[in-house]
Amino acid sequence: MRLRILSNLMIGAVLLGISIADSRLAPADTAPKRIDVLAKRFQFAPDNITLRKGEPVVLVFQSEDVPHGIRFRELNLETEIHKGHASELSFTPTVAGDFVGHCSRFCGSGHGSMLLTLHVRE
Amino acid sequence: MRPAAAAFVLIVCPVLQGCRATQPGKVQTAVMTKVKHSLFVGDKKMQNPIALSPASVQDGKEAFTHYCVACHGLDGQNTGVPFADRMDPPVPSLTSTEVQTYTDGQLKWVINNGIAPSGMPASMGILSDEEQWDIVIFIRHLPPAGSLGEPSMYGN
Repeated sequence: MRLRILSNLMIGAVLLGISIADSRLAPADTAPKRIDVLAKRFQFAPDNITLRKGEPVVLVFQSEDVPHGIRFRELNLETEIHKGHASELSFTPTVAGDFVGHCSRFCGSGHGSMLLTLHVRE
Repeated sequence: MRPAAAAFVLIVCPVLQGCRATQPGKVQTAVMTKVKHSLFVGDKKMQNPIALSPASVQDGKEAFTHYCVACHGLDGQNTGVPFADRMDPPVPSLTSTEVQTYTDGQLKWVINNGIAPSGMPASMGILSDEEQWDIVIFIRHLPPAGSLGEPSMYGN
């Protein structure tokens, strides 16, 4: 009988420990997803990104060559992108759909076709 | 030899003369304007998807500054562009009736496709659709002639 109580207590302690550890790890699960995007003449890599509605995200941009920019007019999001410096766009998509961002800093002959599409899914 | 040389001159000179950029006559201008508005320039009924606002005028001005000022000046009225009236046809002022009577869709079409054989280049792929529509808004709201100064590329 004592052995059973003891083993139950041990199991309880282990479960409690797991629970505490899990609760400490929990914030990491809800932390914004970070996605690296490289900008270079005349494309973004990746140029298509799928996101989930309601899940916070951070897009981290860096330029490989000249200064660029990114603008999602419908989402009211914009930042400049420079070489050797990370520019972040932090946001939580609230509407599902496809949103096309354009390079917002003139960068040469292919500037107008430098696009990044966000696919926001339910 | 002399007849051959004379024939050469008679044939080549008119051709070379035909390559010279000269001021077009009134008839040529009137005919070409009518033809462009009615036949050649498309998208007459297309609407500008971007709403007019101080921000969109500013966006248009910025995009215009990147690509259009070399020929149209900062104000869209050729201010400071030394060759504007030496081209055939001359670079039109964007406030002129000839330009302003295009619909928004036609202005976007001209920006996107250019106009051959005038000097107007196509900006397809160089400017995004959004920037082209922004420029249309700017063209509809140009500042007074000379108010923005002259393009720095011409030494001013």
